[in-house]
Amino acid sequence: MTRMNRRSLLKTGAATFAASSLGAPLIAQDRSLKIGSYGGYFENSFKEHVYPAFTEATGIAIESVTQPNSTDWLVTMQQATAAGSVPADLSLYARDTLIKASRIGGLLQPLDLSAMPATSNLDPYFVFEGNEGPLGVGAMSWFTAMVINPNEVDAPESWADFWDSSLYESSLGLSRNYNSQFLDIVAATFFEGEATFATQDGIVALIEKAAEIKPNVALWWSAESQMEQSMKNGDVIGGQYYLDVANLMMADGFPIQPLFPKEGNPQDYGSWCLSSLSDKSAEAAEFINYSSDPATQALMSRMIGTAPLVDKSLTDLSDEEFTFVSGTPSIKPAYEAYLDNETFIKETWDKMLAGA
Amino acid sequence: MSVADGIDPPLGEETAPARAPFRWSRVLPWGLTALIALFCVVPFLLVIAISFGRKIEGAAWVWDFTFENYQRFFVGTLWPDEVTFLYLQQLGYSFWYAVIASILAVITALPFTLALTRLSRRAQAAWLVFILSSLSLSEVFIVMGWDILLSNNSGLPALFKSTGLTDWLKAVGWFDTLREWGLANPRNVKFKTSEFATILTMSYLVWPYSVILLYPALSRLDPSLSEAARTMGAGNLTVLRTVTLPSVRLPLFGTTLLLFVFLLGTYVAITVFADPSKHTTAVAIYSNVRGANLNAPFGATQAVILLVSASVCLVLGHTLNRWSEAR
Repeated sequence: MTRMNRRSLLKTGAATFAASSLGAPLIAQDRSLKIGSYGGYFENSFKEHVYPAFTEATGIAIESVTQPNSTDWLVTMQQATAAGSVPADLSLYARDTLIKASRIGGLLQPLDLSAMPATSNLDPYFVFEGNEGPLGVGAMSWFTAMVINPNEVDAPESWADFWDSSLYESSLGLSRNYNSQFLDIVAATFFEGEATFATQDGIVALIEKAAEIKPNVALWWSAESQMEQSMKNGDVIGGQYYLDVANLMMADGFPIQPLFPKEGNPQDYGSWCLSSLSDKSAEAAEFINYSSDPATQALMSRMIGTAPLVDKSLTDLSDEEFTFVSGTPSIKPAYEAYLDNETFIKETWDKMLAGA
Repeated sequence: MSVADGIDPPLGEETAPARAPFRWSRVLPWGLTALIALFCVVPFLLVIAISFGRKIEGAAWVWDFTFENYQRFFVGTLWPDEVTFLYLQQLGYSFWYAVIASILAVITALPFTLALTRLSRRAQAAWLVFILSSLSLSEVFIVMGWDILLSNNSGLPALFKSTGLTDWLKAVGWFDTLREWGLANPRNVKFKTSEFATILTMSYLVWPYSVILLYPALSRLDPSLSEAARTMGAGNLTVLRTVTLPSVRLPLFGTTLLLFVFLLGTYVAITVFADPSKHTTAVAIYSNVRGANLNAPFGATQAVILLVSASVCLVLGHTLNRWSEAR
């Protein structure tokens, strides 16, 4: 930081005030960026391991903003954008929320990929192109894995085993939300995968197949912690749960084992998205570039437990480290179909659960 | 404010009416009314206005004036091709849980409160303070506690297993009946998710309120009435039936009604303890407004209908009460 006397401080102050009606920081030389991420362990790991290394490399200070999750944050950002002042420059959105934000319009600003050369390391699937240009670049990904209690049951070969009531009567924990990827598992296990979502008849068939598993489900969880407690307490002996958390629980000695059955597990990912009201596009580009670097991806896998978005060969992750956070095959969720038929899928799914 | 503030000055002394002293007492009621309007009525009107909005598939919603959401509530989104009573069923469960849990809470709180009023002043004060302080526990906290108490490895099912009750149930064949009722898995009994756990937790949640609401009425009961009845040879039950209950009929009814309205909006207990086939309107409202769906108009519609049905219940209760008073 340069030395400043009172006069120059006043001058800079006036200049910054003139430059930005939002009132930028008084000390204009300091570059900073507000980044949102999911609160709790996740955000803490970012604050501890990723942001300091970035600040050291670039001199850009990071202010961490807590997001409850992806979808609720979109509501917050939508209201904040309408009000003219947003709490974060970069937000972390799952792909379905990102598509939703792009369809709502006016919430995100296009990213300049030429300023982020490291993004070329990512599979193009992880860069989302909206009508205005690239709106989101993948940050990290996570799997929803099949989990079992190894003390109670043998590892199943396939998701189809969960439909067997002689093994799992009133014993499974599945997610209650229609778009939490259980339908993608059904599609990959019994149908043609994403293609089955193309028609309403296909969707009905998927939901009817899902209905057959109801007698085996003891818990339809809506909050992650419900499933965690139920696995620990022995209320359920299998189901769907986040791969990284399941691995952490297993390492702590709890009776849980995540598996990759032959159909695979659904893979979701989060993207960095820049608010339309942010004037920090240059700083954001530097951060996204840093985050796309294979070394940073490996750092996040080790420290946060997310799956890398770059090829394993580009990173220095060991096989053991890699299987802790990732695996094959991966089931790609039918994001667009969920959004195109939103009300129809939700109501049909809720009807199935309610038996109405 | 003093009494003198309300007295107008004599007419002759009014020399300059434009410079009459500023009186807070005149402005305050208007100010308070404006505040109440701002913080209570405006959000309320907003919810009603939003309920006529329109959802855009795959995005958010926009302001509009359509009755589609209200139609959807009664017959579903696919009407007229298909009809579903899903949302009416959820409304039904809202009422079912609230009615049963509030009646249960009042029935169990009544003997307790009666016994409480017969304790010494000191003991009564101690109990009331204890019950009042238990109100500071939030719903989340209470649900968490019951969740642990009903868990397989740490709660009631563990007790069933360790005492051999589970094996006994299996031996006499009742275990299979429990499995059919959804109260057991092949390994042990289970109480989550069940109506039993839901109603238990909801009653527990409002039990302190029912004690506090019943206490004033019961403590004012004249003991000489029941003593008189006893001297005439009435047994305990007869006294309760013919003297005590009729004289607290009104507070009993009022308490039940209040708890019922309070319980209509229960969220955490239902999401944790009720099966999705028995979820309520409150849970459905949340899943529409927040979360993945962003359908605030339909959530607002459900909220408006819940409110209207609750009001209808209150009015009905009031009429019924007046009718029985008149008889």
